[in-house]
Amino acid sequence: MILHNYDLFENCYRVRLVASCAEVALELINVDAFPGTEEKSPEYLKLNPMGRLPILEDNALVLRNLSAVLIYVAEQDIDKRFIPDEAKDRARMMDWLGFACDDLAVAVQARAVALLDAAGDVAELRAQARALFRILDDHLTRQSLRGENFVAGDVPSLADLALFPAFALSRDFNLDHDEFPALRLWARRIRLLPGFITMPGIPDYH
Amino acid sequence: MTQTVEVLSQWVPIALSNMIESGTSAGVVAKGAEIVVWRDSSGVAHAWEDRCPHRGMKMSFGFVRGDHITCLYHGWEYDQSGTCQYIPAHPEVEVPKSICVARYGVAEAGGLIWAQLPLGSSESSFAGLPAMEGVKSVYIDASDATVLAVLRKQGCADGDVANVVILERDGATMTIGIQPISSAQCALHITVPEGCAGDVRESILDWSEELRRSIEELEVVT
Repeated sequence: MILHNYDLFENCYRVRLVASCAEVALELINVDAFPGTEEKSPEYLKLNPMGRLPILEDNALVLRNLSAVLIYVAEQDIDKRFIPDEAKDRARMMDWLGFACDDLAVAVQARAVALLDAAGDVAELRAQARALFRILDDHLTRQSLRGENFVAGDVPSLADLALFPAFALSRDFNLDHDEFPALRLWARRIRLLPGFITMPGIPDYH
Repeated sequence: MTQTVEVLSQWVPIALSNMIESGTSAGVVAKGAEIVVWRDSSGVAHAWEDRCPHRGMKMSFGFVRGDHITCLYHGWEYDQSGTCQYIPAHPEVEVPKSICVARYGVAEAGGLIWAQLPLGSSESSFAGLPAMEGVKSVYIDASDATVLAVLRKQGCADGDVANVVILERDGATMTIGIQPISSAQCALHITVPEGCAGDVRESILDWSEELRRSIEELEVVT
């Protein structure tokens, strides 16, 4: 399985994180995305006409949608740790996976504007990301009241792994962690998962 | 009558005790003062100026290891007294005792961690409070005065110590620590008596989210 990767892109890190925790081997092909914009070169546009990373290739299969990539990688896990079997549990997980991949795209964009010369209004994007972090912090507070330590249950799921990078990297666009105590505790639990890896911008404490 | 301006020493709640686990740190702002609150591996809470003396990096970006807190920037390591003990770039050097982070008075009572403002004040030790359990810290984009006025309309009473109010609601007696952050922001640290039922706590979460929403809507209009 090949991941067309750029180390500093949050969405590429999400795939590497899931693969590492699920013990799935990825072959990385590093793309000169910044400042080279190689993902928009004619060769790469053939793989993904949207001109975006990550791209996952597994022989003839080519995936470009973030949640499709994450689900496919997590499904290769021999122990099936991160995608619940039961329909309702899986739906709960997918609900928060959608939040991570769709709604939190504003946090990815805020960081891209702040660090990687992308176009956008960073103050507006930051305000939108903050509102989403509040929703997640409120949710995690309720979860722990119900005895569940993760977003979609009492065990970590694909949704948790997909959500973690946005919070862990938010200081890159000047959104601090002060206001999100439940998120801080949850992020610490994610850090302790076997196979957890960091990326530049997420300190490795150990 | 002449008035002398002096900054009164006071205890301000800065976090719920149960939100700062052993071996973790967090940044907080109380009345404009940037504070790192952290708990060492033996469970003792600390509140320091959130600034490494080396390059001014926020200590709250760093990490706790055992009974030391370490700056993320260059790894300078401080013990519980705030004194620098280790500089990774110069492992052979005995660190001068003058390299220190300034500390706030800190207390833990009523399910809350308290810091004594301003930096360097030395009021007598903190008054005792009954044991309570933290439910949630709610951060609101409005001044503490605005939020307090709304709480008073809901029937809250002053607590036994400053920066605390008592509010009866849904059969629960909440004790709420108020942390003034800036003229535009404050935090409410909501606690309930130990053994308070889960459904009551859930209804308190509903109430707190609605309170935040309604106050912030008001702030946008005015």
